[in-house]
Amino acid sequence: MKDTKESMESSPLLTVNRLSKTYSTAKGAPVQALQDVSFHIRKGECLGLVGESGSGKSTLSRLLLSLERPDSGEMYVHGVPLNGLTGKALRETRKQVQVVFQDPHAALNQRLPIWRSVLEPLDNYPDVTPPFLADVRPNRRETAAKLLEMVGLLPEHLDRYPHELSGGQKQRVAIARGISLRPDLLICDEPTSCLDVSLQAQMLRLLKRLQRQLGLSYLFISHDIVSIRMMSDRILVMQEGRIVDQFPSDQILSEERHLYTKQLTAAVR
Amino acid sequence: MRPIVEVEALCVQALAKRGKDRIPLIQDVSFQIHPGEMLALVGESGSGKSVTAGAVLGLLPNALHIGSGSLRFQGEDVLAWTEKKRRGLLGSQIGCVFQDYQGSFTPFRKIGKQLTEMIRTHHSLSKATAKDLALEWLDQVALPAERVYDSYPFQLSGGQRQRTALAAAMMLRPALVVADEPTTALDVLTGERVLDLLAELQMQVGCAVLLISHDLRHVMKRADTVAVMKDGRIVECEATEMIRRRASHPYTQTLLHARPLLTDLDAGLDWENEEVVSSERHEGVDGVESLADREPAV
Amino acid sequence: MNTWHSIRQSPMTALGIALLTLLVFLTLFGPWIVPNDPLTVQMSERLQPPSWQYPFGTDHLGRCLFSRLVEGAQITLGLAAVVIVTVAVIGIPVGLLSGYVGGRLDTILMRIVDGAGALPEFVVAISVAGFLGPNLTNLLLSIVAIKWMGYARVVRSIVLSEREKEYVLAARVAGGSAWTVMRRHLIPQILSPVFVLAALDIGKIIMLIAMFSFLGLGAQPPTPEWGAMLNDGRPYFQTVPELMIYPGMAILLVVISCNLIADGLRDRLDVRSR
Repeated sequence: MKDTKESMESSPLLTVNRLSKTYSTAKGAPVQALQDVSFHIRKGECLGLVGESGSGKSTLSRLLLSLERPDSGEMYVHGVPLNGLTGKALRETRKQVQVVFQDPHAALNQRLPIWRSVLEPLDNYPDVTPPFLADVRPNRRETAAKLLEMVGLLPEHLDRYPHELSGGQKQRVAIARGISLRPDLLICDEPTSCLDVSLQAQMLRLLKRLQRQLGLSYLFISHDIVSIRMMSDRILVMQEGRIVDQFPSDQILSEERHLYTKQLTAAVR
Repeated sequence: MRPIVEVEALCVQALAKRGKDRIPLIQDVSFQIHPGEMLALVGESGSGKSVTAGAVLGLLPNALHIGSGSLRFQGEDVLAWTEKKRRGLLGSQIGCVFQDYQGSFTPFRKIGKQLTEMIRTHHSLSKATAKDLALEWLDQVALPAERVYDSYPFQLSGGQRQRTALAAAMMLRPALVVADEPTTALDVLTGERVLDLLAELQMQVGCAVLLISHDLRHVMKRADTVAVMKDGRIVECEATEMIRRRASHPYTQTLLHARPLLTDLDAGLDWENEEVVSSERHEGVDGVESLADREPAV
Repeated sequence: MNTWHSIRQSPMTALGIALLTLLVFLTLFGPWIVPNDPLTVQMSERLQPPSWQYPFGTDHLGRCLFSRLVEGAQITLGLAAVVIVTVAVIGIPVGLLSGYVGGRLDTILMRIVDGAGALPEFVVAISVAGFLGPNLTNLLLSIVAIKWMGYARVVRSIVLSEREKEYVLAARVAGGSAWTVMRRHLIPQILSPVFVLAALDIGKIIMLIAMFSFLGLGAQPPTPEWGAMLNDGRPYFQTVPELMIYPGMAILLVVISCNLIADGLRDRLDVRSR
């Protein structure tokens, strides 16, 4: 156990170095969404990122997903720089970093049946066969069924359309899509904040189980410090585009915490 | 002490578009709120909590109607009220705070104008006195009174708007304040401060508060009593302390387990292997949440 | 039963579809059902009243009016269809590229659209006719030149709003190339608004073709185009008004049926009116 932990530390999966991003707004001064953000994620680790709206946590996830470009700073996945990737190199990196978005209603194309949405990443990478799909990969529908099964859905959901599913079921579909390439890093961008309280716990359990089963690393983003604490090994606290505190998960109630962290935890002690 | 609000065996039904079908939205809902008490009505989407609040306010949309049961406000039968009487009481005896400010304020009129108008519809005060009262209350909710008085609603931040809404709800010293998810649209810390303020003002005014929320943990710090709703029924209604120590209904337990406290987690709570409680919504087969689509926004 | 239901739901749309079906039928089978050759001049038979031989009578050159109207349907609808298809083929890709790629390409394309869109359509059409000479091909060219911009703009605005939605972001993260994302997610979103726009525009385009032909800038005699027929009938308006009434009615019917269908499509496809 100790050995593995040390070997993890030697090779960070993701390294982010002094990342900054500024948005120019239509009126008024430009908004500095990220300022000098640096951190790393080790293999098999879940890093929690907590912050309120406008703290820059969504900007960070968009940069890591190469949906936008940073103004300055570097990002490395397995030591390979993410900055300025295009075409083939970008596609290569993308299969290692996948995402589950916040709003399950918006994350699925309303016109496509579930199985098509689930298979979208695998259809884009015909050469990728994750170990857990090895026996079904040649058959597209069987592959989709297996993925649905892994997130607790049934084969009969294959041919449904998004509007026929509940919010929780749609989020499960989004998770199935997120894990389908067995990415090294899965970015969970507020995956439970659109769901009812009782479903939130189910979704967290599912994500945790999948992380252990498949050996994934997570960047778990949320405004809710309790679910961050439940999911993460280490926690970053963001405020106004900066990381103000970072600590191992079990140190969350320690006296050494930043004032802002203490405020966030005060309500849920 | 007579309760401010007495709801007894209340049933509200939705009239289906065609035919004579009546879909029950809430069934057999009973609770009481006494002066100075804060009752939190907790439930997830589709549980009927907003419909209940709407019934108490007499603001149910036309498609819904009260099937049976009784609703009393300060001993008077709410269902027998005329529209005129209800309007007279809303604002003066019953204050409301909604999730977003558009429930409380008209977008393109200045806050001060709206506040003084509210005061002067219920009390015959001069403009100057009404302004003084409004400023005093903006000050009470820790806002820069003069500046907010001259602002439009959209010029304020979400937290400032909810504070203003609290001032508007409390300034006529009502007997009851209904707060429908007042912090859902706000950041965590801002929301906490708004709830603190609500509790503080309640002490000062001595009114009863009906607080609607989807988050049980969130309300447990302030509410005296908690009523948990599920599928249109109150499954458990107890003093907060009782809920905290030994919630009896499995659904309440699910809600509590879904949002454990940090201290519990530090103590090694094994949330991952939680048995799926039987009352947890079954997601697998028939899909769509049972009442979620039917509950109209109130 | 299903058909009956939808007719009861929107009787006006059904009426539009019925009218247009009739016109398309005439267009397709016109040459076989017309009683006379629409171009044969018989001065002995000029300005005849309706008869079994000539259902709507004859015009000032003794040509069968009914046969010319039917033949004109083919020309008018055919031309409008050609224009619409061309316009969509140009406008959709431009709008897609402009909205999806964004950046400098978007700026350049939209400058062109805004600049060209600032010119009134009549000025464009008349100057094209002036420079290149008045004939049908040039008229169609000028209509295409005016109309493609509207499609580009609509498509671009839809793409701009859709591309920020999570399902499109998810598709990009899932490794889809730009073309894959457009084909699978954006083009299906674009199609229904474009259909509605096209249905509305067909009416306008028929009007434009007829109008310019009436002014002598489009179809030239003896082509039995409805606008040109209106022009032909002008000198006889006092004595034989049917020469103008029939082609006028024909234009009116087509335009109305197109608009009815467009309204129905808009309701059915739930396209927000802009």
